[in-house]
Amino acid sequence: MSSTLFDNRKSVIHRLNPVTKLIALLAIIVTVFAIPLWWVAGLIIVLVVVPAAVISGSGGRLLSLSLRILLPIMLVLFIVQGLTFPGGKTIIWQWGIIDVTSEGLLFALGIGSRIIVLVLASILLVLTTHPGDLMSALTERGMSPKFAYIISSTLQLIPAFKDRADSILLAQQARGLSLKGNPLRRIKIMLPLLSPLVLGMFTDVEERSTAMEARAFGSTARRTSLIPVADSMVQRIARWLFIVLALAAVATPILLGLL
Amino acid sequence: MSSTAATPADSKKVRNRIFIAVGTIIIIATYLYLVVGQPTDIAQSSFSQSGLIAIAGYVVGAILLAIGAIHRLPTATVAMVPVAIALNIVVGQIVSVIGLPVYLDSIGTVLVSALAGPAAGVVTGILTNVIWGLTLSPIALPYAVVQVIIGVMAGYAARLGMFRLFYLAPVAGAITGIVCAIVSAPISAFVFGGATGGGTGAIVGAFQAMGQSLLGATTLQGLLSDPLDKAISFTIVVLILAALPSRFRQRFPFVRQYNVFGRKAPALQHQTAAPAAPAASAVPAADVTDATPDN
Repeated sequence: MSSTLFDNRKSVIHRLNPVTKLIALLAIIVTVFAIPLWWVAGLIIVLVVVPAAVISGSGGRLLSLSLRILLPIMLVLFIVQGLTFPGGKTIIWQWGIIDVTSEGLLFALGIGSRIIVLVLASILLVLTTHPGDLMSALTERGMSPKFAYIISSTLQLIPAFKDRADSILLAQQARGLSLKGNPLRRIKIMLPLLSPLVLGMFTDVEERSTAMEARAFGSTARRTSLIPVADSMVQRIARWLFIVLALAAVATPILLGLL
Repeated sequence: MSSTAATPADSKKVRNRIFIAVGTIIIIATYLYLVVGQPTDIAQSSFSQSGLIAIAGYVVGAILLAIGAIHRLPTATVAMVPVAIALNIVVGQIVSVIGLPVYLDSIGTVLVSALAGPAAGVVTGILTNVIWGLTLSPIALPYAVVQVIIGVMAGYAARLGMFRLFYLAPVAGAITGIVCAIVSAPISAFVFGGATGGGTGAIVGAFQAMGQSLLGATTLQGLLSDPLDKAISFTIVVLILAALPSRFRQRFPFVRQYNVFGRKAPALQHQTAAPAAPAASAVPAADVTDATPDN
């Protein structure tokens, strides 16, 4: 499963039940979107995400991955909203026809802080949770095992698929296919690449489905789990606490009349 | 998506229908709420709440649709979905490597919808974005509903026979693209503030500078890129399918039932029709479409 971001370590965060981490992630996202103050998002990063990343030992990878995703978004967000925000009145910097408004920058700060939390927290979940564990934990809780099959199977399939696509591309190049040219020409390249790829991959499917059917894949009976996912009383309480906190975060601005 | 998708118990069938209905209603209600109740003053607070409603409504709706759809799928289709998702992701990456100005990240979804119906497309679509989130970037997750819509629309386009003629497919694709652009605009606006990428962000900024609201700007930006992207995706799929052997296409029950490629499958009929349609493995031709009275 080299195609996922999972960072195999042995920390407390890695050992937590995947459902606990998932609920924590959802609670964090709900909180930052429900309370529209950028420093709430900042506090959550400093008090929750950063300590969790440090404890998990995946902080370095979290930083590099999220910088790669966030940097372009933040740059575009601040430039575009700073310059063209429709509600912008207070001009703080002017050069020719270019006006930077403080309303625009504040707006970008609000949106940006939420995107940062969203990206950091979800990448941390993916880094510290093996997809297989997440799937078995969710299946134990009543998710259709078909979902688990599809996700686990795809994650194993992607590297094989890439290899096959690469070899087809090389083979077609050896026969004189050129990868250069205008966009329309390059779209045409997709065809000699895709036809063999699709035919090859889909012919395997029929055999696989026969093998799965022979092992009662289509059965709707509730299954038992081969490897039970560890859980504890503390985590059970914590999950309920997260849900209550998220609901409180939704209720607070309405009660305080911030809306 | 029909009564032939053999679900054993009637109660489960009803439950799945409820899931699909509720999921659809939630998605539509979310969009209407966000557009009608659009925060005009763009006060920070209500704007942020709109972001929460956009994510929550779309994600919950998409998940309900997927739960309702996955139980309809026979094992053969479930086995096909991972291949389609891998196709979405790998082609999406190759396209960005080759440097094309489109995404083309839904070819697998369209392909599965054309071969196995809208329900299969829905499952492929939502799980594509889940896996995208697991392997590349969590930014894709709030957009899962877009792939779900592609799956539904491509599946029904196939049922209506849009894949029989290669020039109808881009039309279906462009219509799908318009719906995608409209539905995805609130996420781009309320969650990402219009900044989902360098080029798209610049276009959003240009529309805002022309006096559009943020939601209006992201909608227009989507309408510029999505219909083209989906039209190309649909065309590529119809060309791939035409290039594949007819035997491969007719293996799928959905294709046979709705006559997706306008060709009578059973060997007996095929023999009688042979003089009329001489090239059995050729591109779906115009002359075979009139042999489809059962639509």
